[in-house]
Amino acid sequence: MVHFDLGNISTGPKDYYDILIVGGGPAGLTAAIYAGRAGLSAGVFEKSIEGGAVTQTHIVENWPGFMRIEGNELGEKFAEHAREFGAELITAEVVKITYDDDYKYIHLDNGKVVKGKVLIFATGAVPRELGVPGEKEFRGKGVTYCAACDGYLFSGKDVVVVGGGDSACDEAHFLAKMVKSITMVQNLPYLTAAKVLQDRLLSNNNVKVIYNSLVKEIRGNDKVEEVVVVDNETGKETVIKAEGVFIYIGLVPKSDLLKDIVKVDKFGYIITDENMETNIPGIYAVGDVRVKNLRQIVTAAADGAIAVEHAAKKYF
Amino acid sequence: MALLSAKDREYLKDLFSKELENKVKLIYFGDAKENCEYCELEEQILDELQELSDKIIIERYNVNENKDLVEKYEVEMTPALILTLEDGEDKGVRFYGLPSGHEFGTLVQDIVTFGKGAKPELSSTTIEKLKAIDKPVKISVFVTPTCPYCPRAVLTAHNFALVNPLIKAEMIEANEFFDLSNEFGVSSVPHIVINRNPNTFFIGAYPEPQYLEEVLKAIK
Repeated sequence: MVHFDLGNISTGPKDYYDILIVGGGPAGLTAAIYAGRAGLSAGVFEKSIEGGAVTQTHIVENWPGFMRIEGNELGEKFAEHAREFGAELITAEVVKITYDDDYKYIHLDNGKVVKGKVLIFATGAVPRELGVPGEKEFRGKGVTYCAACDGYLFSGKDVVVVGGGDSACDEAHFLAKMVKSITMVQNLPYLTAAKVLQDRLLSNNNVKVIYNSLVKEIRGNDKVEEVVVVDNETGKETVIKAEGVFIYIGLVPKSDLLKDIVKVDKFGYIITDENMETNIPGIYAVGDVRVKNLRQIVTAAADGAIAVEHAAKKYF
Repeated sequence: MALLSAKDREYLKDLFSKELENKVKLIYFGDAKENCEYCELEEQILDELQELSDKIIIERYNVNENKDLVEKYEVEMTPALILTLEDGEDKGVRFYGLPSGHEFGTLVQDIVTFGKGAKPELSSTTIEKLKAIDKPVKISVFVTPTCPYCPRAVLTAHNFALVNPLIKAEMIEANEFFDLSNEFGVSSVPHIVINRNPNTFFIGAYPEPQYLEEVLKAIK
């Protein structure tokens, strides 16, 4: 089915918003909804598509009220909801953040600077890299981190999916319909994804899992041809023929714009108090980018709500 | 059945009535179904767009019957969509393949930009550097409709084209033009090729300054 999405249409930005929100995923868009309801103006700055990483998720089954919804559709609904409450969604990349006693400023890649009273940082996390030989060299030549983007380009081909968590299993299931075969490489003796995702994945007869193994190297001439895998216990090497390698081994926080301004932990996650406020008054961090135990759509949305409720009382 | 929902149509009607200051012409080149799988759908979405604003003018041509225009607009594949102001002067902004999925938003954003006089939305530094380019540059952005990073890569290229008549910028739908994508080794999108040289490319939606640097580096 062909869709026609209205995701990234933006008409702004204005020079000033009460609340500047960097990142348009579930955390940022929920913050925008709460800002609108509190009578505050909000500008959401997103460099790809409103909805954030959710839009790349094949199927979401743990957002209450929807038994099953495509990630892309849920992301669109979040954006629509935020717009409905007056938020402006702006497609632009923020390249720098500054502040003075009265205001926060975000600097966009097109040279514009936008001022706000409060800044909510909701940039999320990006895929972790494997860090093995061949990964960087073959990026865009078979190595990818986005099944939604690139899956169809591997139609009828043999691919490797690295990882065994929720994302790896869900995306491998999505890929199984189009690729010839999938070899999953998981570092543990078992998959860590939710049971329902594991069962669904393993019901595909073109998927097999190599447990307890690590990817050692990705090899090829001009593009990916094979993946070298090592068994953790025996040390035995196996070479898997594959034209594509999809990497889903977790996330790293996208905190580079703030890490020299606010306190972060040793992994780069932003440290906040229970109101989501960082050590700099008026700068909040919400969603996957902050230190927390559970990174899910539902907890990201909660963060956004908490931050705005607090900011509305304290700064307006 | 309509491709756009009633709600989306209302949203776009409102957007176009607020944002379009002048007329925008969309020049479409199509072909018979056996030569162009997606032409019928593209014609339908154009029909639906046209109904949303009297500022949107759509011209339709069959590539086999309008050779002079095919040559004038350098149309290479179908479906092709070229955005211009009312005068029909080629600004180098085009789409090859159905602008569906996230790329529909790209098309809408482009229509808005043309509706405000086709002025590039770029920093003054970028504009200066682009103006200084003195040889032809073709930026081909390979995309898939499901790629969230792709719209900005296309929009940035399209805005570059608006600065300098020597720059042409095209979206190419990678699934639809599968052989061409293979020829350029496209396996991750956005995959941006400069001057259709398979060896001068970069991958990913770069921020404006870095995007510009990649283009400048490729044409050196």
